[in-house]
Amino acid sequence: MPEPEGQITSPVSRRTFIKGVGLTGVAAFLAACAPGSGATTAPAATSTAPGMTTGPTAAPTPQTVTGPLKWANWTAYIDLVGAASDAGEYQPGSSPTIEQFKQKYGIEVDYEEKINDNPSFMATIKPALVAGLPTGWDLIVLTDWMAAKVIASNWAEKIDQANVPNCVNNLRDALRNQTWDPGNDYHYPWQSGMTGVGYNATALSENGIAAPTKVADLWGIPPNKVTFLTESRDTVGLALLKLGIKADPATVTDADLQRVYDDIKPLVDQGLRFTGNDYLQDFGQKKVWAAMVWSGDLASSAGEDDFFVFPEEGTMIWTDNMLIPKGAENKYTAELMMDFVYDPPIAAQIADWIYYVSPVKGAAEEIKSLDPGAESNPLLFPPDDIVAKQQNFQFLPDALESTMNDLFASLSGV
Amino acid sequence: MRSSRPVSPRASRAWRSRLGTVTPYALLAPGILWLLIFYVVPVAQMFIFSISTGSLETGFQITYSLDAYTEGLSRYGEQFGNSLVYGGTATILTLLIGFPVAYTIAFRGGRYKNLLLFLVIAPFFTSFLIRTISWKILLGDEGPLLGPLKHVLGILPGDASLVSTPYAVIAGLTYNFLPFMILPLYVALEKIDIRLIEAASDLYASRWEAFRRITFPLALPGVFAGTLLTFIPAMGDFVNAQLLGSPQTSMIGNVIQNRFLIQNDYPTAAALSFVLMAGILVAVLAYARVLGSEQLTG
Repeated sequence: MPEPEGQITSPVSRRTFIKGVGLTGVAAFLAACAPGSGATTAPAATSTAPGMTTGPTAAPTPQTVTGPLKWANWTAYIDLVGAASDAGEYQPGSSPTIEQFKQKYGIEVDYEEKINDNPSFMATIKPALVAGLPTGWDLIVLTDWMAAKVIASNWAEKIDQANVPNCVNNLRDALRNQTWDPGNDYHYPWQSGMTGVGYNATALSENGIAAPTKVADLWGIPPNKVTFLTESRDTVGLALLKLGIKADPATVTDADLQRVYDDIKPLVDQGLRFTGNDYLQDFGQKKVWAAMVWSGDLASSAGEDDFFVFPEEGTMIWTDNMLIPKGAENKYTAELMMDFVYDPPIAAQIADWIYYVSPVKGAAEEIKSLDPGAESNPLLFPPDDIVAKQQNFQFLPDALESTMNDLFASLSGV
Repeated sequence: MRSSRPVSPRASRAWRSRLGTVTPYALLAPGILWLLIFYVVPVAQMFIFSISTGSLETGFQITYSLDAYTEGLSRYGEQFGNSLVYGGTATILTLLIGFPVAYTIAFRGGRYKNLLLFLVIAPFFTSFLIRTISWKILLGDEGPLLGPLKHVLGILPGDASLVSTPYAVIAGLTYNFLPFMILPLYVALEKIDIRLIEAASDLYASRWEAFRRITFPLALPGVFAGTLLTFIPAMGDFVNAQLLGSPQTSMIGNVIQNRFLIQNDYPTAAALSFVLMAGILVAVLAYARVLGSEQLTG
């Protein structure tokens, strides 16, 4: 063994090696340039170097804006313009909200669409959090159940309420006083949304299948053209509704979960897959005909013939929340960003592109003036009959959660 | 291991004998330290996890419970099987594809040898993930491979699909590990004295016979190194199965990844890793015995 291993490197001549090193160097140089290549002139706004002071909006306790602000968010979850808007994928400089923030505070924002689902994103930062190290992010967006776990584990920085007056004033009452963080000490909602059914009208009609109106209709489409969500609460929740079981964590039993498993397993055997937010790629490549999806994504980022339906059985309701992970290097800037997006005109600008439900009081009026006709869009303003059928399957008792995780892992082949 | 430096004869003997005993260990020290820190300690740590119970929040305590092993082995036979089949098939494919490539570069490469070798590793300047995701597009239902086969040549039915099947996973593994096969093969083939092959044909061996009796046996160390370098990481891989497969094509690496990072079930993940490692070790030992270890050390 040692001999062949040692020889593997020998065919690489010194010139080739130097060339390789050179390329690596170029890549490193490009990488180093990337975050600072935006509009501001602030030289080398590294995370440790102090940036400019705030000036007009200085908080009571004077603090320093530092950056670049590292923000991890989900795909298709911020307003975009131009080519990025058509592609439904963030590119630096393509989001008015982020550009306005950069201009206002003279700081870079490194916004990345890194979150595909809660568990897989948490898997990338949990080792750092457990070890008490910075995660590399200043602002992250997690769904209720995961946000609650992060806060309970003391992995979130406490928000200085004095720095977020817009949040304090403008958070919608319905979203206040969550049992897992009653005073909003650690989180402010980013958007709320619903989980339902999405489909590609062309593919379905070409294959003689009627557009789905119910969750149950997903069982009537070739399973290898269907995806469910890796977010188990969404998939299991909708599957419970399909079986006529109320998706209420207080009443669902292990036996109900077993029924869901037995219902979905045959589809898996025939090629059903589970995806995170990357179902948008599948829709883009016409790989799926129908799927469990989140309410706003298809409207904002998919094709003209991709539609979202509120299934007859009901939808799953959830809220994604902004948190500052423990050890964030630019905590104050993260708070400024939270505050910034709770300014109603900004909130309206975001919601009107991403088609989710804004948590900001006053955003509704702003949206209506920004985009006449938006008030009748059920994605932004779910009508009463939709709201009546929304189910919250976020917070499960430990035993139920463990059963669900186990069954869901089996479904996913792991 | 003798020092060739001239030392005064009187002092030299004792000094030299001491040096003689110490030097080998001193030279081995970096390697041993490396193994100790990056292999022995983690393996011991992993073993301790595998016989512990608890959770990430409450901490893990050593309870000498073997539940993780029984649970892991009874539940994930299929995924172990997938790893073995996909990893093994990919290894055989890399050998079948890599041997002619390495042979051509070694014997026909001429002054382009270095360039050709560079081309073999050139794709690796791109990220592993990007390359694997590209395969998703290449093998896509309407991609550059299936599209023409379906619509231009009409060989395949319209709903034929490669992505999310074992074929796609094996294709991804084969592609990603090909250079690990080609490079050791090249090294072994390049060393072969071309006159041996000439001598064989002088003695009326056919080209095939010369290959079978001279070239291939002399290339065996390369085959051995290449198959190990391909098979071992391919067995433990999870990225290809995750990106190109479906729940049915999960490999044991996917299970370990899920248990470690998603479910935070360290004991089961550690037990599965341990079983995988032990299995590979046994397989490699058996393989080395079959190929004949004297031949390998050349």
